[in-house]
Amino acid sequence: MRPFFLQVAAVTLINLKSIPQRFWLSLSTVVAVALVVVVLLSFLAMANGFQHTLTSSGADDLAIILRGGSQAEINSTVSREQVRLIEEGPGIARGSDGKPLVSAELYLVVDGLKRSSQTKANLPLRGIGKDGATVRKGIKIVEGRMFNPGANEIVVGRALLREFQGLEIGQTVAFATSRWTVVGVFEANGSVFESEIWADLPVVQSLFNRNNIFQTVRVRLQSAAALEALQRFVEADPRLKLDVKSEAAYFAEQASQTSDLIHKLGWPLSITMALGALAGALNTMYSSVAARAVEIATLRAIGFGGTPAFVGTLVESLVLAALGGIIGTIATSLVFDGFSASTLGASFTQVVFSFTLSPALIGQAVLLALAVGLAGGLLPAVRAARMPIVAGLSSS
Amino acid sequence: MNDLLLIRKNLFRKKLRAILMLFSILIAFLIFGVLAGFERAFNAGEDVAAADRLMVVNKINFTQPLPIAYVNRVRAIGGVRQVTHFNWFGGYYQEPKNFLIVMAVEPESYMQVYQDQIDVAADARQAFIRERTGVLVGEAMLKKWGWKVGDRVPIMSNIFTQKNGSRTWDFTIVGAIVARKPNIDTNFMVLQYEYFNETQNLGRDLIGWMALNTSSPSQNDRVAKAIDQMFANSLYETSTDTEKAFNKAFAAQLGNIALIVALVVGAAFATILMIVGNTMVMAVRERTREIGVLKTLGFSGGRIVRLILGEAVLLAILGGLPGIALAALFAAAMETSVGNFIPGFAVTPGIALNAILLMLGFGLATGLIPAITGMRLKIATALGRS
Repeated sequence: MRPFFLQVAAVTLINLKSIPQRFWLSLSTVVAVALVVVVLLSFLAMANGFQHTLTSSGADDLAIILRGGSQAEINSTVSREQVRLIEEGPGIARGSDGKPLVSAELYLVVDGLKRSSQTKANLPLRGIGKDGATVRKGIKIVEGRMFNPGANEIVVGRALLREFQGLEIGQTVAFATSRWTVVGVFEANGSVFESEIWADLPVVQSLFNRNNIFQTVRVRLQSAAALEALQRFVEADPRLKLDVKSEAAYFAEQASQTSDLIHKLGWPLSITMALGALAGALNTMYSSVAARAVEIATLRAIGFGGTPAFVGTLVESLVLAALGGIIGTIATSLVFDGFSASTLGASFTQVVFSFTLSPALIGQAVLLALAVGLAGGLLPAVRAARMPIVAGLSSS
Repeated sequence: MNDLLLIRKNLFRKKLRAILMLFSILIAFLIFGVLAGFERAFNAGEDVAAADRLMVVNKINFTQPLPIAYVNRVRAIGGVRQVTHFNWFGGYYQEPKNFLIVMAVEPESYMQVYQDQIDVAADARQAFIRERTGVLVGEAMLKKWGWKVGDRVPIMSNIFTQKNGSRTWDFTIVGAIVARKPNIDTNFMVLQYEYFNETQNLGRDLIGWMALNTSSPSQNDRVAKAIDQMFANSLYETSTDTEKAFNKAFAAQLGNIALIVALVVGAAFATILMIVGNTMVMAVRERTREIGVLKTLGFSGGRIVRLILGEAVLLAILGGLPGIALAALFAAAMETSVGNFIPGFAVTPGIALNAILLMLGFGLATGLIPAITGMRLKIATALGRS
């Protein structure tokens, strides 16, 4: 067996060493595979980044309560009486003052100016009460301060600041006739809340003519398991025609719609491109076999079997594809990883997110690259293994 | 022996190689055709916008309401020919995932303002004005759900409930809306504002936005300023823009589709440029001796250039045309299933023409280096090389 492996190793080495002789053609295969990987990884990183932003927004032990059938915060309305009834519900965690941690909120859409396109885009303005920041975990003011109750002041999410202009600290923003001052920037673990503007609930209610109207209620639960009790409580009361979900489930639903769509565009595009790259790889490998016809035939004549020629050609193809895969991955991580973008989310407002690569995604892309290498090497390798000695030796 | 025959013989001398190159070119033009069609459909709103149409929305954001009383005040402004108004209904059919574009409109003024885009039969017009629960449904929506004129359809809203607590409205389809131009989307439904306003439970006498036609596009700026000034410092300030600018800004909200398309198409073309360009160089190098022979026979340098460039262009066209044809077939097959999301998805003559120009450019680009090499080749070196 040992001589066999030596044969295979020797021929493979000859194959690899001869790549520089077909430098440009081999390079075109590498580049073609690299570009396929870049396209696939960019789409996957886009979908992953969007999903990551939305799923990190939701907590299991936070319930979101919407009007029945409204699906998104923007469509929902909840009355003051309903908020009072919810506060008496079971399983609700209590704050240091002993009161239930319940945040009734208003969710409005206002115009912002997108930096990249200089066009108006929908931004969410969330009116929150004193418990708004405490029911959520991980809210941090990183610049400036929180708005003061009763003042026309707003704080903006860190991600929003990146994509939209005119919201820096100290700037004044006009929403119709009301003027607001930006007093702080907050972080929220990279969640969708970082794409929002927050202000004091009563001020928003009065300046937007929505007195005594709320849109959603967020409730901190004693534990994730307490959700069911609250759901049963709401269902049992005919005055509460409301949907109760965990915030995690609410955002996961929204995330899957958009990231499914990106996957549905990205995969077929990449596979189509991979077919084009495959044609290139086949072309390169057939040329390689043709160029080494004399060499392969000579080896056969001195007693080498067909298998080393087969393996050598296949390995050459796989190495070129792997090289393309690696270059594509590095290029994507340099250019697109962390790339900031925004799109319209399920609540009809902009969601700012960053392209996010992950080892799993890179694994998928490298597999696609190797599949191109395998398919592109197989037939030429068979031809190399079966080449008649006489034809090979007389080929030039 | 004419040049065309020579070109063809050269191209298919190595059949497998030619087929592989044709295939990779086909793939690149398939991607180009599909993505160009997608982008065009995405920006259709901008293309179909009427030059004399303005949109009046709440200055805070177009999702914020305006009072119905504004409509008559706008109508009275000089230079305004017709005005109508809309409310977003948040409609869906049976399940929330079956999202529908449903708007409440004032029937007569709606059909007047949009007569450049839509056609409604005379009896359907009358029925829509007369019947309180009547709706007009676009042809695309009728087709998508298999509805017919005369059907009763239960439509639900994720925003409004009826005063009686029901979330379902039973509408009767009284007519179809037919597009007057091919890239106008008809995947929507309109219902009577009056009926909507009386039956829904949230905030009466509010509208979503207004659309109006000016007496001439040259009046657009003046009219827009007059409207916004009229409502300045009121509880509901307005922002007035052309329909074109409004549609463009809305499309931009989804993301920079044009950039994504440009990058992917760019990557696809960079791939085939490398593959085909290198193969052409190699193919011509293999033929060095032959070119020497041709030159000995009296072929001029210019004719050699023509032969090689011709071969590259022929290759691009033979690969590109089926690619574009495939893209057109794909778009036609997808239009119905993706229609809800991207109406008007098609490979238009304009896209096909661009593709043909690209094929010529691509052929010349890949043939250039080998052509120059061929032209410069000295007979002595060519025949001396083995």
